[in-house]
Amino acid sequence: MSLIERLNHSELSALHSPWLRLTPQTMPVRHGLFSRLYRARWLIYELVSRDLRLRYRGSVLGFAWTLLNPLLFMGVYMLVFGTFLHLGFHNFALYLLSGNLAFLWFSGSLNQGTNAILAGRMYVGKTVFPPEVLIFVPVLSGAVNFVLSLPILLIADMLFGQHLGWGIAYLPVLMIGESIICVGLLFFFATINVFYRDFGQLENYLVLMLFYLTPIFYQVQAIPEPYRKIILMSPIAVMIISYRDILFFDSTPKLSAIAYIFICGLLTFAAGHTFFNRYRESFGEYL
Amino acid sequence: MSVEVEGLCKRFRYLAVGKEATLKETIVKRLSRRDSQRRTVEALRDVSFSLGRGQMLGVVGRNGSGKTTLLRLLAGIYCADRGRISITGSITPLLSIGSGFHPELSGRENARIELLVLGMSPKEIDRQMEKIIEFSEIGDFVDAPTRTYSSGMKVRLAFAAAISVDPDVLLLDEVLSVGDEAFKSKCLTAFDGFRDRGKTIVLVSHSAPTIAQRCDSALWLDNGRVAGFGPAPEVVAAYRANAAQRVADMAPA
Repeated sequence: MSLIERLNHSELSALHSPWLRLTPQTMPVRHGLFSRLYRARWLIYELVSRDLRLRYRGSVLGFAWTLLNPLLFMGVYMLVFGTFLHLGFHNFALYLLSGNLAFLWFSGSLNQGTNAILAGRMYVGKTVFPPEVLIFVPVLSGAVNFVLSLPILLIADMLFGQHLGWGIAYLPVLMIGESIICVGLLFFFATINVFYRDFGQLENYLVLMLFYLTPIFYQVQAIPEPYRKIILMSPIAVMIISYRDILFFDSTPKLSAIAYIFICGLLTFAAGHTFFNRYRESFGEYL
Repeated sequence: MSVEVEGLCKRFRYLAVGKEATLKETIVKRLSRRDSQRRTVEALRDVSFSLGRGQMLGVVGRNGSGKTTLLRLLAGIYCADRGRISITGSITPLLSIGSGFHPELSGRENARIELLVLGMSPKEIDRQMEKIIEFSEIGDFVDAPTRTYSSGMKVRLAFAAAISVDPDVLLLDEVLSVGDEAFKSKCLTAFDGFRDRGKTIVLVSHSAPTIAQRCDSALWLDNGRVAGFGPAPEVVAAYRANAAQRVADMAPA
């Protein structure tokens, strides 16, 4: 039922239990994460759709941006890495695009989500509002964008004679993995950003560095040892490689890769959620 | 009792203006072991009062006396440092009016999100929407972006949305000061309807006459302490006498 339904008598006494110390709060979080999210499902739906509408409202090209954005990036990368630096190989553009779409989702969610709780201060500071909702919204709207931009890749694959097989059935699995990683990281980032407002800038650099350290515009084989081992420890790198197995190489991702993505993702998620819960009650005062 | 507050204390720690927390500064400070310029302010000190069902409480006091802090504590947005709050039933806070509206979204879209935030189901929202639009009297503007609204329009819409939730306890911060006279009397009529149905209202307002006339009881906060609590006309009279005295003291002899 309602979000504020939780403010019934017994719960409020729990919320304001006597003689509680301030910051960081160690208050019991009444409902589990998933029950909170389920209660807020319509709100999440509305906020995601608001996010998508706002992204395209007031722009001449509207929805076409979803498709244009990755194409423009791809054009620049092809020019720089393919033509200027001679890193190109057969169907380089498709290789780039197949990795970069998933990375754009990742970086977009992180950049937007780090600021999510600050940007949603009108809701958090206004009523007892489950702030985790704000963390899921950018990840979900990014997922919608990602899915909507896939047809470009699939059409280009066909045009350039790149055959795609049943491996694509793994796509939802990878997307779930990516969502878990994003939300897990955002539990940390968005929380830190409430208390340290300049964290967002640091986060931008981190994501940019990660872009170069992830095999998006180069191949894994091109990395010399021992760096290759180190790069492959990054779940993001493993994830991009798995996406490419599906969307470029017409194969299926390694099960060990998927397992690795999920283990890293779930650990981040669990740690992030604990961190978030520890500080959530102080949000109201810092916004 | 609908709302019971006992020995409520709230202290804020804040940084001097221009010294907002940044990661860089924190690290620099840790390294240089400079004294951080933290101060504390006692926003509420040992506040107690209680309020029965169907009662309307008016909160008066100077700027910065802790009125809004009290509402935010009641709403569960802040945690008390000490003391106890117990509230029976559901709460709808209507604080920091209109700031919950996204300027690029239409009034209808904003009201929808607002109601979802307050916990209403989409079905119920569809049922209530026309009533809300009618009550707020914003007419065709409802589909225009809220950046084109006047502040009064935003308040009217936010207020109409908040009362449509029909909570057991309604918390209102300075709602009446922005709407025009006609809307104000409409709000006051709505309050009466609420009370008749056994609902409780806590109203923060600088309009002392309104509180004296309409509220059952009043709470006068001064510098975070309760300076008076009791029947509205008496408390408001004491508050106004105090304010007048202060003005007289300030005037050159």
